[in-house]
Amino acid sequence: MAQDSGTRTLISHAQLRRGRGRVLYWTLLTVVVVGFTLVFIGPLYWMVTGALKSGQEIAQTPPSLFPQDPQPQNYVDAWTNLNLAKLLFNTFYYAVGAVLFQLVLDTAAAYSLSKLRPVFGNAILGLMLATLMIPAMVLIVPQYVTVIDLPILHLNLLDSPFAIWLPLVANAFNIFLLKRFFDSIPEDLMAAALVDGATPLRTLWSIILPMSRPILGVVSIFAVTAVWKDFLWPKLVMPSPETRTVSVGIYAFAGGTPMNVVIAASVIAAIPTVIIFLVFQRNIMSGLTTGSLKG
Amino acid sequence: MAITTAPGATGAPGRPAPPYPSGWRRTSLGRKVRDNLTGHAFLIGAVLCFAVFSWYPMVRGVVMSFQRTRRGQTTWVGWDNYARIVDDPSFWTAWKNTFYFTILALVLGYAVPFLVAILLNEFRHAKGYLRILVYLPVMLPPASALFLFKFYAYDPSEAGLFNATLSALHLPTSEWMQSPGMTMPAMVIASTWMNMGSAVLIYLAALQNIPGELYEAAELDGAGIWRRIVNVTIPQTRLILALLAMLQIVATMQLFIEPLILANGAGTGDSATSVAYLIYQHGFFQNDLNGAAALGVIMLVVLAGFSAGYVRLTAKQD
Amino acid sequence: MSVPQYRKAAALALVAGLGLSLAACSTKGDDPGKDAGGKVTITVDCQPVGSQKELLQNWNDDVAEFQRQNPDIVIKSVSVGEQCNNPPDFTARLAGGTVTDVFYGYMTDLQQVLDSGQAMDITPYANKDTIPTWDSVDPALKEVFTDGGKLYAVPVKNYSMGLVYNKVLFQRAGLDVNNPPKTWPEVRAAAKKIAALGDGIAGYAEYSAGNTGGWHFTSLLYSQGGQVLTPDGKKADFNNAMGRQVLQNLKDMRYGDNSMGSRQLLQWGDLLTNAGAGKVGMFIGAPDTTQAIVSQFQGKFQDWAMGPLPGQDGPAKATLGGGEGYFFKKGLTPEQVKAGLKWIAYQKLTPGKGQFDYVRSKPQNYPVGLPQPLLFANGSAAQKQELDLRKANANVDTANFAAFEANPVPIKGEPRNAQAIYAVLDAAMSGVLTNPNANIDALLKTAEDKVNKLLAAGS
Repeated sequence: MAQDSGTRTLISHAQLRRGRGRVLYWTLLTVVVVGFTLVFIGPLYWMVTGALKSGQEIAQTPPSLFPQDPQPQNYVDAWTNLNLAKLLFNTFYYAVGAVLFQLVLDTAAAYSLSKLRPVFGNAILGLMLATLMIPAMVLIVPQYVTVIDLPILHLNLLDSPFAIWLPLVANAFNIFLLKRFFDSIPEDLMAAALVDGATPLRTLWSIILPMSRPILGVVSIFAVTAVWKDFLWPKLVMPSPETRTVSVGIYAFAGGTPMNVVIAASVIAAIPTVIIFLVFQRNIMSGLTTGSLKG
Repeated sequence: MAITTAPGATGAPGRPAPPYPSGWRRTSLGRKVRDNLTGHAFLIGAVLCFAVFSWYPMVRGVVMSFQRTRRGQTTWVGWDNYARIVDDPSFWTAWKNTFYFTILALVLGYAVPFLVAILLNEFRHAKGYLRILVYLPVMLPPASALFLFKFYAYDPSEAGLFNATLSALHLPTSEWMQSPGMTMPAMVIASTWMNMGSAVLIYLAALQNIPGELYEAAELDGAGIWRRIVNVTIPQTRLILALLAMLQIVATMQLFIEPLILANGAGTGDSATSVAYLIYQHGFFQNDLNGAAALGVIMLVVLAGFSAGYVRLTAKQD
Repeated sequence: MSVPQYRKAAALALVAGLGLSLAACSTKGDDPGKDAGGKVTITVDCQPVGSQKELLQNWNDDVAEFQRQNPDIVIKSVSVGEQCNNPPDFTARLAGGTVTDVFYGYMTDLQQVLDSGQAMDITPYANKDTIPTWDSVDPALKEVFTDGGKLYAVPVKNYSMGLVYNKVLFQRAGLDVNNPPKTWPEVRAAAKKIAALGDGIAGYAEYSAGNTGGWHFTSLLYSQGGQVLTPDGKKADFNNAMGRQVLQNLKDMRYGDNSMGSRQLLQWGDLLTNAGAGKVGMFIGAPDTTQAIVSQFQGKFQDWAMGPLPGQDGPAKATLGGGEGYFFKKGLTPEQVKAGLKWIAYQKLTPGKGQFDYVRSKPQNYPVGLPQPLLFANGSAAQKQELDLRKANANVDTANFAAFEANPVPIKGEPRNAQAIYAVLDAAMSGVLTNPNANIDALLKTAEDKVNKLLAAGS
């Protein structure tokens, strides 16, 4: 990677370039690179090759390092039997929807709380923040019962993407992050816009949002991760095979399938996300760095 | 701490005047809302979502925990559900396991990513590569990552990766998920491996924002590496450390998918049963949603007590 | 200044957006039972999943043929997963009201389905007019799905358990492939010999997770002459000498002889995966587990044979029998119920059609000739017809199942509240299979306490 000599960190740059420091630095770097490769790539190598082994070979002692009789059929089986394309599509669809809903509704709410001073604003914010301490698991049963039969409207949201999107909007952490960021935007800017006759919506659109790109990026990353990582909630509210997410689908599939095929499915499922991460790596990192996450 | 006690955060002192007039006239509530229609309209979407999917379920959960529904008939049963839940021999085991996991996860899953981030931040080479490595497991679907551990790493025979390695090194092997003593540590290892990437990235971001002069000043004062971490790095990342500590604890209290996949549920002799798994077990295996709701309320009370203590603790430090 | 208008517009847009989004959810609601053309539409679940290619093809062919014969009926098939009834998913569907019009369930599910208020009384509709073979269906099976004199489901499969064993491993271990062990001590001796082959092979394998441990405990207990609950169904009845014997047998094999392999905490697919990989000598199961081993777990038919369930010192006192049926969702129109019954009659209860279309299955990778599904009463016309067709088209060596068929063991149904009880009994099974120092008495006592509490709470 590129040498960035700009910022000074825990240990001074110069110290690492001289004598003992230099030796130590390179030794440590080598150890870490080798160690991390083993710890993080090792299992993945095992996964990719393990999925190529036959059932007999997987159960063999000691395990073989290379598949002796590669069975690419396992990957084909995984792709077709599991309908992975559909599962991946579902997951991305839910993730994109979750990002949109959270960006629109949470940003609007945070903007209102930060700049527009609604009635009971602080009380509402307090109530929202109180939910931060309540893990999803505590509410899983009443939330599930609510989604089955929405109060007043009496709609059943099971198998509907809204059962994933709307509860995710109720995310106090995002509102907190966004509001904190908006709070740091000088009021002068707002006042100037007001003098120019801009409406709050216009101010938000043309002044606040362009300044907030990093924090919006952070919120988006969190939204995508939440959908990607969640398991029990989608398992409950997306019961039919057509609407499952990847994680739930693989779990459901694992019950009646040889494990090499399950692992093959896992490998395939991971590929698109790895690509997305590699492509957006720089944006994600810079988003996290500038996204008001400093201590 | 900032998140729960000071909603205003940065804007708290010397609040600037609101750009749109609202409070200075004595008006009715309806008038206030009408005067600031946009402000309230912007708020309404998120508030509705909170109301329907967060605040209302909280109330509903408490109500449900005092009811019982059988064949479509709902009746009030007082504390029956609580009595039944607490009476379940798995109840205490589940709490013990959950706390044990939370503590182990704090030691391993919380400290390790911070140290890794400090280490990675020092390197001037292979930075991007290492960063991607650490983040790779996060990109696996969680079920996949756990199946990987279950099938390959934790296989109790010597066909398993861990046991094969251990026996090649002439070290004692373990039955991992089948040995009650190893169940929790094994789950923490798997959980840390698959989740630490996000924490490392967030710490790295925080570390990059520490002004270099602080380290220089500390070094001039004769502070060694360790003292510099304690006196500069930690105070400078205090807020993010506190935030992640809380998020981590709340997350580990919900331990669910690890026992479900790695231990096929309860594990051996309830050694993997977590409170969250017990909620699931009551609600969806034993067809007892009311009992599950009661257990949820108990969990809520425990966490509320915990967070009250936490807020007092951090408030004192400030 | 147009500010107020702007604000109003923005507010309206937001509210409308939210309202629309909610309204959009409602469009995916129930399909009407009848469409404009006067056709009756019903949804049916448990369509085979994509991995079961031939089964899925058969199902779809059956739907097409049935719709051709009944142009006024439309069948919408829904697949709910590899296992049609995975207890937590099934519970979720019941609680959520997302079961299909005609939905699959185990015989043990009747109470839960009734509790959920989703079941419809089909007594007035189930007769010879809707199901031509109805009078041949074993009355005992109808009884299982009856509560308070009302019928709630149509049985479509029935099985009983025996000892499934791998002939290849038997041969390699020097055991007589045509003479499977008949008592638990004989099973233990055979398991020891098979495990001696090494290579990670388990002589005997057993479940201990995902409710399957409790399910098999029940079967093992029946073989000893025991029962899970007292006859009135109010108390647990396994904490006794017979329950102890069940666990002691397993403990002896697992830790005394080390003949059960090191992988435990198995649930349904785990054991069958190992079996498909040729790592399991014996286990207890129904005849159709061999089908799963072949079609889902890459095993081979000719390797597997089956004997009767062993007993402690002679033939088993009883074996576990269970089965499946289709329930009807509350609120269906009489036309929909009749259409559903007709479909089940066609696909599940007509010799020569649907699941009994042996001519079609013969060339496929699915077994014909298994002593299953035992739907028709002994001596009934349908039974004879089905048996003849089966014999004529058998593609597995029926000799493999001769020992099982020739030594029938009395069949005993599953206890009420079975799935919840099974979850409790899993712990007893995993206890003896993963802990060399397990205290059998304590395990049974704990399980007894839990089951009693569960029963007390349920009433």
